[in-house]
Amino acid sequence: MIEKVYPQLGETVFWETLENGLTVAVVPRPGFSKKLCYFVTDYGAIHTHFTENGKEIVAPAGIAHYLEHKMFDMPEGEISGQFAAIGADVNAFTSYDMTAYYFSCTGQFEKALSLLLRFVSTPYFTEESVEKEQGIIGQEIEMNADSPDTAVFERLMGCMYENHPINTPILGTRKSISEITPEMLYTCHKAFYSPENMLLCVVGDVDPVTVCEMAREVLPKEKKEKTPRVDHWEEPATVLRHSTETEMEVAMPLFQLGFKCPDPGRGEEAARQEFVADLACEALFGESSDLYLRMYEEGIIDNSFGGGFETVAGMGMLSVSGDSDDPEAVRKAIIAEAERLCAEGISEETLLRMKRSAMGRRIRALDSFNSFIFRICAYYFSGFDYLHFPAIYERITANELTEFLRTAVREENCAISVIRPINKEEKK
Amino acid sequence: MIQCIELSEGVTLRLFQDDRFKQGCLSLQFVRPMSRQEAALNALLPNVLLRGTAKTPDLRSITLRLDDLYGASVGPLARRAGDYQLSGLFCGFIEDKYAQNGDAVFGPMIAFLKEILFMPRLENGAFPEAVVESEKKNLIATIESRMNDKRAYAADTLMRHMCSTDSYGIPRLGDKADVAAITPRSLYAHYEKLLREGRVELFYVGSAGAETVADHLRDLFAGHERKIAPLPAQTGFSNVGGGQFEETMAVSQGKLAIGYYSPITQRSEEYAAMHLCSAVLGGGMTGKLFVKVREQMSLCYDIGAVYYSSKGIMTVSAGIDSHMKDVVEQQVEEQIAAICRGEISETEMESARQLLLSALSGVDDTPGNIEGYYAVQALTGGLLSREEYMEAVAACTPEKVAQAAKTLRKHTVFFLKGVAQ
Repeated sequence: MIEKVYPQLGETVFWETLENGLTVAVVPRPGFSKKLCYFVTDYGAIHTHFTENGKEIVAPAGIAHYLEHKMFDMPEGEISGQFAAIGADVNAFTSYDMTAYYFSCTGQFEKALSLLLRFVSTPYFTEESVEKEQGIIGQEIEMNADSPDTAVFERLMGCMYENHPINTPILGTRKSISEITPEMLYTCHKAFYSPENMLLCVVGDVDPVTVCEMAREVLPKEKKEKTPRVDHWEEPATVLRHSTETEMEVAMPLFQLGFKCPDPGRGEEAARQEFVADLACEALFGESSDLYLRMYEEGIIDNSFGGGFETVAGMGMLSVSGDSDDPEAVRKAIIAEAERLCAEGISEETLLRMKRSAMGRRIRALDSFNSFIFRICAYYFSGFDYLHFPAIYERITANELTEFLRTAVREENCAISVIRPINKEEKK
Repeated sequence: MIQCIELSEGVTLRLFQDDRFKQGCLSLQFVRPMSRQEAALNALLPNVLLRGTAKTPDLRSITLRLDDLYGASVGPLARRAGDYQLSGLFCGFIEDKYAQNGDAVFGPMIAFLKEILFMPRLENGAFPEAVVESEKKNLIATIESRMNDKRAYAADTLMRHMCSTDSYGIPRLGDKADVAAITPRSLYAHYEKLLREGRVELFYVGSAGAETVADHLRDLFAGHERKIAPLPAQTGFSNVGGGQFEETMAVSQGKLAIGYYSPITQRSEEYAAMHLCSAVLGGGMTGKLFVKVREQMSLCYDIGAVYYSSKGIMTVSAGIDSHMKDVVEQQVEEQIAAICRGEISETEMESARQLLLSALSGVDDTPGNIEGYYAVQALTGGLLSREEYMEAVAACTPEKVAQAAKTLRKHTVFFLKGVAQ
């Protein structure tokens, strides 16, 4: 077991790789009653195209999320009752590029950990239970369809991406999920839920050795090779369409703006690009920028406005969203301001101040079990040790920020998605 | 764990000293009886104060100062604590030991908080008109945007119908029309009134000792002649109105919200039993509603119950196909009836108990949770400390839960019906 100490952050992480290929990370939190445990697979909604036993498989959209729902079924029944009985709160989520099962508890940690390891490594699907889930996920799809924030984002992805599967909703569609069978779920489980493809991470006052021992005991012993899959998609540098607009039951127009960027890839260099991009966004439209003040005082943005750099395996983009009566004016102002900033440059003093602020906010965020564990897991799968962030900030220069803005914030790789209130007058 | 210091008349400092965290927090709130006359003013005031001070005149200069304090934050607070409305400012900041080169953050942070509160930017003896108008527009947008989240909208609308004569019927941020009617002068007069007679609650979580924090804050209202009006006592539910209400929107999924009332509040002996009752019915993934309506009948994705313990209201909400409204409503009734008959399995009881205990013991795990829990609890008149309450939850029996359930009366149903666009 490797003990990594980060004195500047007051953090220690224990890392271990088991014989079956599973990586384990434990962040001790002495003095805290809460324990949070994530069991995560490097498999999400975008991984529908893979090769299993020499056979090429294209699974229906939404299958990773469907599988996540069905993992809670065990031969003895639905598993969450067993967690509840020992005071542990279990849940799961599926993102574009990972699926996480997690619980939090204050007591009986080992029992809960054993349950988690067991149910995530035990696929059990029947025709009947898979069929029954159609109704539940169907309602989840309806709920998302009514969520303006989801709609504005999914429509934007449809405009920006021709080939990357981020252009498809995580949940899939009613039609795509209707094709899902127990056999397909078994195949996906076999392909992506092997220890080699997963990370077990705990934050809390627990013994790292015990965590590893339990994982050894419950999980399969053999090491399986990683399943070959499509995780790179050729994308033109420009967007498919520059805008999309629809009407929903909302109070005022909301928008999301995206600037398509090259795939930052993996590892430390990718993380560094992400941090550069975030600082560049701060300089361009953060609350301390000229642009933010101007737009806020003109009333074209309000405190719902915000943005930053977003990545999913195989893609990266700069995204800005909020409520606005005039989304087009916001778009134009951002592009114009980026040109000005690139021409004038960013001062050393500004850069230092922004770094200090960003570092402070990242250090504060370490207090939150949820955000800390999520970052450790997400960065682990993209090949970066998140707690190295102070060293990355140290080396970032002002020129890198302007260079990023010069290449990213351009008309040709920009798309905007707008949701407007339903025009009831016109309909009458 | 909580220390309480009266700094001056009507100014209470509560502290939770803890050196486990990387950040500290400090909230400053005026405590007011929730009223239609004041709700919008109280909600708007912090937003206007945060637009600039005499020395730090705009959003940009405020952010620059916060950046220098290692990305500290100051945000507006407007929340409900039973019949009271709390409004003020919330500061989050890195602990001094994580700053570089021995920089201090805590001291300058408090100085900045005082500046925001006591040195507002003024024009002609009132808040600047442009600032007030812009924040009015933003607050109205925030109020209107509640409809974007259909579940929250259904919950709000249910409360409005259910509590037409009660403080819970007053929206937390006030009514749009009341916001629109505010002028720079009326807001400034209200601000002066709060400084003069508003009861103030301060809450600190962090590594600094009580005396250090108190020393920083003791002069807070020095030089202000204050006369504090006593707060009225918290009240239970007043049974007025009620019935069935429906609204249609162009949405795919209908939202059902049902309101029940009970004489049991957090100020009653039976508090733990009623809290457990709502958890047995609709808490987490083991509540009766989740198991029956979602897992067995596949009628919804989300369904749950919430107990508003200060008022004695329990609500049930679900997102469903619009034509299934009657079926789901019937199921909710049946599950409550089952609890009344004492049909609570050991698993259901223990799961509900663990759910509450786990949430209660997790309160101490982040500065924000600590502040959010204790700063509100201090005002809603609960009989027990957190530890005592956990003991009550641990000791409660299924029989007591059934007794509590029998006090529930259905009052109002609100249905947001989806129609094709």
